[in-house]
Amino acid sequence: MIGVAFRRLLSAIPVLLIVSLISFGLMRLIPGDPAAAIAGVSATPAQIEQLRRDLGLDEPIYLQLIDYYRGLAQGDLGRSLLLGTGVFAATMERLPVTIGLSLYAMVFTLLIGIASGIIAALRQNTWIDQAAMMFAMIGISVPNFFLGLLMIILFAVHLGWLPSGGYVPFSDDPVGWLRSLAMPAFSLALLQAGLLARITRSSMLEVLRQDYIRTARAKGLSQRKVVLKHALSNALIPIVTVVGIIVSLLLSGAVVTEALFSIPGMGQLLTQAVLNRDYPMVQGGLLLVTTFLVMVNITVDVLYAVLDPRVRYE
Amino acid sequence: MKRSHLAYSILAVGLGLPMAAQAAPFECPSRGGDIVFGQEANVNSLDQMTSNTISTRNIAMNIYESLMTRDENNAPILELAESMEESGDGMTYTFRLRQGITFHNGKPMTSADVAASFNRYNRIGLQRSTLDNVASWETPDPHTFIIRMKQAQPTFIEALSSFSVPIVIIPSEHENDERQQLRTVGTGPFRLLEFTPGSHARLGRFDGYKPNTAFEQRTGFGGYRVACVDTVTFRIVTEASARVAGLETGALQAVEDVPTRSLDTLRRNNAITLVPLQNWWIQIALPNTSTPPTNNIAFRRAVQAALGMEDIMDAATDGNYRLNVGFQFPNQPSYTDAGRETYNINDQARARALLRESGYRNEPIILLTNRDYPPMYNAALVMQQQLRAVGINANLRVVDWPTSVQMSQRLNSDEWHFYHTGWGTQPALGALATMQFLVSPNAAYRPRDNNDDPDVMAAWNRMNNERTADARQQGFADMQRLILERAYAYPFGALTKVQAVRSNVQGFVPFRIPRFSNVWIQR
Repeated sequence: MIGVAFRRLLSAIPVLLIVSLISFGLMRLIPGDPAAAIAGVSATPAQIEQLRRDLGLDEPIYLQLIDYYRGLAQGDLGRSLLLGTGVFAATMERLPVTIGLSLYAMVFTLLIGIASGIIAALRQNTWIDQAAMMFAMIGISVPNFFLGLLMIILFAVHLGWLPSGGYVPFSDDPVGWLRSLAMPAFSLALLQAGLLARITRSSMLEVLRQDYIRTARAKGLSQRKVVLKHALSNALIPIVTVVGIIVSLLLSGAVVTEALFSIPGMGQLLTQAVLNRDYPMVQGGLLLVTTFLVMVNITVDVLYAVLDPRVRYE
Repeated sequence: MKRSHLAYSILAVGLGLPMAAQAAPFECPSRGGDIVFGQEANVNSLDQMTSNTISTRNIAMNIYESLMTRDENNAPILELAESMEESGDGMTYTFRLRQGITFHNGKPMTSADVAASFNRYNRIGLQRSTLDNVASWETPDPHTFIIRMKQAQPTFIEALSSFSVPIVIIPSEHENDERQQLRTVGTGPFRLLEFTPGSHARLGRFDGYKPNTAFEQRTGFGGYRVACVDTVTFRIVTEASARVAGLETGALQAVEDVPTRSLDTLRRNNAITLVPLQNWWIQIALPNTSTPPTNNIAFRRAVQAALGMEDIMDAATDGNYRLNVGFQFPNQPSYTDAGRETYNINDQARARALLRESGYRNEPIILLTNRDYPPMYNAALVMQQQLRAVGINANLRVVDWPTSVQMSQRLNSDEWHFYHTGWGTQPALGALATMQFLVSPNAAYRPRDNNDDPDVMAAWNRMNNERTADARQQGFADMQRLILERAYAYPFGALTKVQAVRSNVQGFVPFRIPRFSNVWIQR
């Protein structure tokens, strides 16, 4: 198992190198002047030119590339043009916020997606199945931005149950954290929950038709035991695969959600960085997010072997 | 012989402000409470010396102060200085500092701090060209600061008091703080409690603040300022609907930039007061005079004749605008309507005649605009239709803001013919700050090889170098007339930005930057 994880880690190195090169190249290829973006709408051309020189943006691209890789080799992701702080520090400030939001959304996703998928499979072709799948389809179809706005109007403006936006750190007030992220997490989760419900349903239907399920029932095991112990555990492999993908979808979906609910997370940071052509921030931020996603995928790979002893990596 | 500006400044304030008629200085009707302000744009740094963004200024100008600032009508006034004397030859400015001023860290402010602030600004300040003509500065004693000029510059005080990128006064021990790394310690009525870039900045009342007793009321960024509330939190809420929702629920006590679609609903809500901020910026398009056919004055005049400003401004601002001739606003002393006959002509027959005269042969005309600022995009869209109506083959080129700025600044570019933008801070700062946009190195209309129109340059030089204010104002009027007559710019009108507060928030008067001194919460 450790060998598998180690080999996966080694194979991640070229992935990260390619991502770093692509992010560097793409940012330089897209037009737009970082100095103009950073200086703001009321800056004069002379101020913009001054800023360009101050930020070293007048250096040739090959020198910027050499500087970038020299920094990476020393573990330095550079300094954000926009914030003036180190990219690593800025990312480490924001990434936990987005991971917290994504985990919160993941809880909703798993609860809603797996539960409705199991129920739909067990009540195949009944109105319950139809209703669950209709709910899943709505979840997949409604943009999380629109859902978020509807939720703000209902739960914040009309009912006053939840704050309309803002973020409360968990360390300051755990209940405040739960309340401030409830709407963002739910609006983010609904799309993924719909997807997960459909995958769970089809995977469960496949497993429920297997001989060992019939045998388990013939032995007189309770429905609960048959479903949760024998069926669900065997249906988990495709579900875990999808969950790995869902993590990356939640992270990317957080971009819009964070903007709508004013959450200072990674999504907002990277969006601002791209819009303002903050080269070091985009390059470093993408590299760290990619690293996180690679780790999630390695974890998923390892989980396969844990969940199904038949799976072996040779 | 010396000329004192102190008396002039106070007189100007007294005449300009109705509240100055009150006998006693301002006292908070009630104290305490917290205000949360919904700010539309992200703020990345509070280093006011190296940032020109409005979002930074929104927060930092409640924390920092300068030797001089601007009053309600944007006239220069003293702030941390109690007097300023200009020598008769205009080569020396002597500032006597107010005494008893302390920084938020408790340290008393002296001339050494002022010198350190000027040193840092001269090293990394974004607008450090303000000090290009300064030979040196001296601190003969802890309460005196002297600036010596290389040559007389009649507009120096106007530049020094600018709030575009102000020379804010910081403790001397922060002199070597790097760009965007400035520790946030000022002398203003509020001190920084907490700052999370992209999320919020929380300010608290500075109990050691000493109001400027030369005034009785707040005026502009200065005057007699008192922090009445305990804290002010600037929360970044980029989504307009979320700002409105926050205001309605009471999660936000004040917001900026209320969308037009929400105005009717908010007007009906007794708990909310709308505070429109007129003259927020001048919506404008600039021709590229380095490429045909916009290098042809007859063609540019044809375009000028085709434009109907009501339609353009209505689309650009959703109806929140005022027609405005030229580059200053009517409430400003420097306002002039010179060249008004070129404005809002909207005469298709005249435009077609001028077009024939220009020899235009249906070449594609590119209107460079962006979607980051909807007023710019909407103005370009209507302008395109108006140009097409007179037979000009006008096309939009829509890119994002950083790209449009980059394209507009390329020398001798043939990628665009009209560049759409908005001028906000500079018109508010006065004629001098605004008209710099129309001469090299800033010339937004891009003369070929940066060869400015000599007549425009002559007027610009008079604006800068004439000894009397009247003569400089005449230089401005001449320059505005030339710019408009030769169609080097098409100012469409003045955009109104609507702010809003909960009705129990009192004393909030719209200004370019939300000011939270002399603002209180009605119990």
